[in-house]
Amino acid sequence: MNFALSEDHLMLRQSARTFLEKEISLARVLVPGATVADADYEANWSKIAAMGWPGLVIDEAYDGLGLSCIDLAMILGEMARTLAPSPFLGTLFGAWAVQKGGSEAQKKALLPAVAAGSTKLALAVADASGAVDPPSHEATARKRGQSWGLTGAKSFVIDAAAADWLVVAAQEEGGNRAFFLLEANQPGVQVDLLPWRDVTRQVADVRLKDAVGERLAADDATLWPWLRDRVLFALATESAAGTQRVMEMTVDYAKERMAFGRPIGSYQAIKHSLADMLGQVECSNAATLYAAWALSENHARGSLAAAMAKAYTSDAYMAVSQRSIQIFGAIGFTWEMVNHLYFKRARANAELFGSARAQRARVIDMVERKAA
Amino acid sequence: MDFELPGEDHPKRQEIRAWFEANPHPSGLALAQAGFAVPHWPRPWGLEADAELQLIIDQEMKRAGVHVPRNPVAINNCAQSLLTHGTEAQRQHFLWPALSGEHTWCMLFSEPSGGSDLGNLRTVARLDGDHYVIKGHKIWTSLAHKAKVGVLVARTDPDQPKHKGLSEFLVDMDTPGIRVRPIIDMSAHENEYNEVFLEDVRIPADRLLGKEGEGWALCTTQLQTERVALSRPGAIWGHGPSARELVEGLAEIRALADGAIRDEAAQIFVEGEILRLLACRALSDRMNAKAPGPEGAIHKMLAAPHGQRVVDLAKRSQGARGMIAGEKPFPSQLAGDDPYDDWDYAFWFSQAVTLGVGTQEVLKNVVAERMLGLPRELDPTARLPWAEARRKQA
Ligand SMILES: Cc1cc2nc3c(=O)[nH]c(=O)nc-3n(C[C@H](O)[C@H](O)[C@H](O)COP(=O)(O)OP(=O)(O)OC[C@H]3O[C@@H](n4cnc5c(N)ncnc54)[C@H](O)[C@@H]3O)c2cc1C
Repeated sequence: MNFALSEDHLMLRQSARTFLEKEISLARVLVPGATVADADYEANWSKIAAMGWPGLVIDEAYDGLGLSCIDLAMILGEMARTLAPSPFLGTLFGAWAVQKGGSEAQKKALLPAVAAGSTKLALAVADASGAVDPPSHEATARKRGQSWGLTGAKSFVIDAAAADWLVVAAQEEGGNRAFFLLEANQPGVQVDLLPWRDVTRQVADVRLKDAVGERLAADDATLWPWLRDRVLFALATESAAGTQRVMEMTVDYAKERMAFGRPIGSYQAIKHSLADMLGQVECSNAATLYAAWALSENHARGSLAAAMAKAYTSDAYMAVSQRSIQIFGAIGFTWEMVNHLYFKRARANAELFGSARAQRARVIDMVERKAA
Repeated sequence: MDFELPGEDHPKRQEIRAWFEANPHPSGLALAQAGFAVPHWPRPWGLEADAELQLIIDQEMKRAGVHVPRNPVAINNCAQSLLTHGTEAQRQHFLWPALSGEHTWCMLFSEPSGGSDLGNLRTVARLDGDHYVIKGHKIWTSLAHKAKVGVLVARTDPDQPKHKGLSEFLVDMDTPGIRVRPIIDMSAHENEYNEVFLEDVRIPADRLLGKEGEGWALCTTQLQTERVALSRPGAIWGHGPSARELVEGLAEIRALADGAIRDEAAQIFVEGEILRLLACRALSDRMNAKAPGPEGAIHKMLAAPHGQRVVDLAKRSQGARGMIAGEKPFPSQLAGDDPYDDWDYAFWFSQAVTLGVGTQEVLKNVVAERMLGLPRELDPTARLPWAEARRKQA
């Protein structure tokens, strides 16, 4: 029993921070009118790939680093701290899906290339309402000999536009949902970037018309709960780290900005609000690290921990990033400042893969089931 | 990093369990002498227990239905100062009766002129031969009506700035000149706190704790030395019902079928679980030899309003019946014999948890200043000699 991070983890986090602070710049997205096209997606990806990060959670048997969710949290958190626009998250989600659900041949075919940074992935689960749980009636899969034909639509797919391969959840003829592997570059696949407010992230709709795919070996019931836990944990980790960054920059500003002859941080309305932010940061970090540990250990409380972390961090990130705009004053409301980028990331992370409220509903279901 | 709690087969657990099996109804003294009152203290008082052993002891005591002697002021806050600042004679005289629960202690800090601005207190202690003579008025003193020993802060040098002229004393509560008047709080329960009048109370000079002028440092440390309850993060300063029990209770009366209550209960549950993790982490930090610091303030800043939310939702689930004195929200109450285990009392009392041991506002100041490095509150009286500041205020 030791609830503190080890020296190794702290070092991993520090080296990621040093690297990202040096390499990642948001300068181009902070020009008014900028879109995600200005976010240096590809350039950042090359740098990240050179660090070996695409292979973090891929097993060593497939040329990855085989690291745990705790290790991942150190690096993913640092990326979220700088907002580092890149197709990392979509590739991570896809790699998890293939690693857990793929056949040996599928894993061998794909994962080493992902680990090497030469292949990018995306995970397409949500329908147009944002719902991610089965069934997935908006996309269907029909078996055609050895392969499958997929038709329909998927929504809110992170990093789809950059992906070489898509992992798509679709409804089989028999009525079950399954996950399918599709090459993105084929006539039946159309990817439309959404005018997504969080301009540090590419999010797209995917339209499928008789697209050719193959089925991941695992059934939905085996793959989805495992995958969902990790996706929620990853989003929570991003949110917790972003919350901390926003708090830190707001504290710094409150010490410098003067009003009525005193730093604004000497007024209790501001000071107490920053103390509340620190409380939210501490809670966010505790919740996500617990989830990281539980998932690393395949602990029975992993699903509960991931849902709790997503629920808590979603609300906290939204609240803290909003409050930060208030504390910066009018300048915090301009496009040139980073405040809005965190605010928008917070809102997006909160909604994707099930809102805070949806996660709380899952939490209480799990608690009740155990009590019953 | 490892969140796994010590398992059933942990060798230390076996040892502790065996002790409780051999001593099913231990006296307070037996518990104290076995080191279970303050396991984290050095021997002979404690067991030099790390966080893990403390947790095991907490759990095994709960399992055996045995409680630490109820003497919170000594065990949670004040007695530890005797290890570092007390004399050997003071340790021998005070500690065993305190740890065994034979002598209840109380904390004579707050005064009618102000509790948050504790440094401004007016009670004076004047050296007269080999005695101090104490004159003043304390208020909100929990347990004073039951206490044998009072930990008193008084001004020994009015010509020093307010925080510098204070000293701390260990006072026998039956000394002539001490009068205790109960104060009934809004819960209408048996009184928790009291007023204490001190009229020319003569105490031997060797009852000074530490040196003259060290009173401020001692009492602020004591207010921060809360021992965190790990196994049950109860709503009332760690005691009483927790969020888990709230959810169980709401399930029992089928209140969770209401979507709004269900969501609020889930939110409180998540907070409760996170607070439990934070408490564990604080202990791990101590195990890893990080000094305890202002993070105690952040924990209380989060835990106190959380506790209020726990008992508040239970109360609201009762509807109008919740206003009937003594009405229970859930058929199966907590089994413990702690008075705060009563949901109804815990709710009415909970209004005090953001006041006692540092108000919520003062805690936020501490967190903002000490943990975030924000500017300190202005105190125009802080540097003036206390007597002069007092004249100016009058
Ligand atoms: C149940 C209970 C048990 C207690 N037990 C004990 C005990 O055993 N021994 C003991 O000595 N005391 C005890 N206290 C007293 C407690 O420590 C004080 O109530 C507390 O310190 C606040 O002091 P006060 O009540 O005088 O309020 P004040 O200090 O007068 O405060 C009034 C209001 O002003 C706010 N305020 C004050 N200063 C600031 C500031 N700088 N910034 C912003 N807001 C501020 C406070 O937060 C509060 O809301 C107990 C209190 C309660 C409720």
